Amino acid sequence: MTGLVDGNNFFVSCERVFDRSLVGRPVAVLSNNDGCCVSRSDEFKALGIPMGTPYFQLRDREASGELVFRSSNYELYGDMSRRIVSLLREEALDVEQYSIDEAFIRPPEGAGIDLAEYGRRLRAKILRWVGVPCGVGFAPTKTLAKIANHAAKKRPDGVFLMPRDPTEMLSALPVDEVWGVGSRLSPKLRAERIFTAADLRDAPAGVVRSVGGATLLRTARELGGAPCCEDRDYDADPDSVSCSRSFGEPVTAIEGLGESIASFTAQAAAKLRRHGMLASGCNVYAQEFASGGGGDFLEVTVVFPSPTDATNEMMQSIRPEIGSLFVPGLRYRKTGVVFFGLEKAGAARQMDLFSPAESPSASPLYRAIDALNAKYGGGKVFSAGEGVGDQPWRMKRSRLSRRATTRWGELVTAR
Amino acid sequence: MSAKPRVEGSVVAGFPSPAEQYQEPPLDLNELLVRRPAATFFVRVQGDSMTGEGIRDGDLLVVDRSLRPADGDVVIASVDGDFTVKTYRRDGSGVRLEPANPAYPVIRLRHGQELDYFGKVTACIHRFAGK
Repeated sequence: MTGLVDGNNFFVSCERVFDRSLVGRPVAVLSNNDGCCVSRSDEFKALGIPMGTPYFQLRDREASGELVFRSSNYELYGDMSRRIVSLLREEALDVEQYSIDEAFIRPPEGAGIDLAEYGRRLRAKILRWVGVPCGVGFAPTKTLAKIANHAAKKRPDGVFLMPRDPTEMLSALPVDEVWGVGSRLSPKLRAERIFTAADLRDAPAGVVRSVGGATLLRTARELGGAPCCEDRDYDADPDSVSCSRSFGEPVTAIEGLGESIASFTAQAAAKLRRHGMLASGCNVYAQEFASGGGGDFLEVTVVFPSPTDATNEMMQSIRPEIGSLFVPGLRYRKTGVVFFGLEKAGAARQMDLFSPAESPSASPLYRAIDALNAKYGGGKVFSAGEGVGDQPWRMKRSRLSRRATTRWGELVTAR
Repeated sequence: MSAKPRVEGSVVAGFPSPAEQYQEPPLDLNELLVRRPAATFFVRVQGDSMTGEGIRDGDLLVVDRSLRPADGDVVIASVDGDFTVKTYRRDGSGVRLEPANPAYPVIRLRHGQELDYFGKVTACIHRFAGK
């Protein structure tokens, strides 16, 4: 059995934990450079404003006080995500973080376990401890768990257990809403008279393979209840870019830890480039080897100076944080990188017109500067645009809330 | 950069230190103050409404969201969208938030109004001037 735990309107929900004046109001969190809506409260959705609506079209309704906007506070969302994952680790047999607001879990097994009750308890604990409401869906496979999670969010208790025979649900679900199918395949699927998730599940393997290859065939089998989505097999889904791996031998040295993280970052960055995407930051985690599961779990949130798909730029931000994942004496069994704040590369370039967006190492000038810094010490030569002192934000985030869990200077206050 | 000679490690002959078997990790304030990291948040005090409890302007509060409030606890709650730190009181007359300074009013919840509770204050860290 697989569970999917997914934060409801995750970014908005994180904002609301620390700003209670946002509760009950139509709130949206904006993408990088305050471009468009990427997370919306239920009240905002009820006004019929779709995901991705550009902010400039809504500016007047903000000025009038009808709508409220926040810039993406990735430091905060990353930290809240870490807290939720650490709770899940205590409560589940295994946890696989899939994106900043979603994690697959292996629930406890055994005769006396009431999964619905377990899900409700899990949800209540996350809500009380961290403050974020979640949906929890259970099903035999990840693809079905995605569907169960969707149903969970529409239920008052936030939990849904996929029925033994899900045909009724799958018949009502358009096939391009199935995880990993995508609208690109719709015309071909329609030509084969595959309209719903149930149609895909029941189609002959040869037909499915001819439309969408081995990936679609795996999806079809998962809809039929046969688990075949291995860990990390998410290449078809650009919503989540992550890379993790268990080591053959436990790693005990910081060098090994760093190398594995660098290598997974490189792999995940390559995937970003394949999809023409940039990432705003990532969560990096390391897990201790412990026989019988469990073990220490360390995780850190890294936000890049500006969205990027360049491995070297990412590593500049990640490398200084690796030390915080390392505890001498710990035997590590797994590390991983989960990117967040994804956006299309083209769109970002346009909005980034006024900031130094190009990869430094690509230009002869920066190569010369790098050489000088190498000779005379890091940071001796820098562009005035980088600013003097602590000013790492090249991204425009004019509606940024407090980074209340990662910066001492930005704590929330109480009177 | 000029290369300086470095000594890496050292070799000591003789008896091992008798202190070795008593070695322990150093005391860690996190261990003392943060029992449940996933549920613990830090909040900065603004103002003097709780000076009677030793909570002063600028102090740092350790707040545990996982703990339910009991009568007499110091809590963080939201009132009209703003966070406040007060003593939680619950008795036959209902729930109220009491300041620890007579200059401030008691906040009474209206009948049927639910407290927007954030968490329980488990510690107050006061740093002296000249920090």
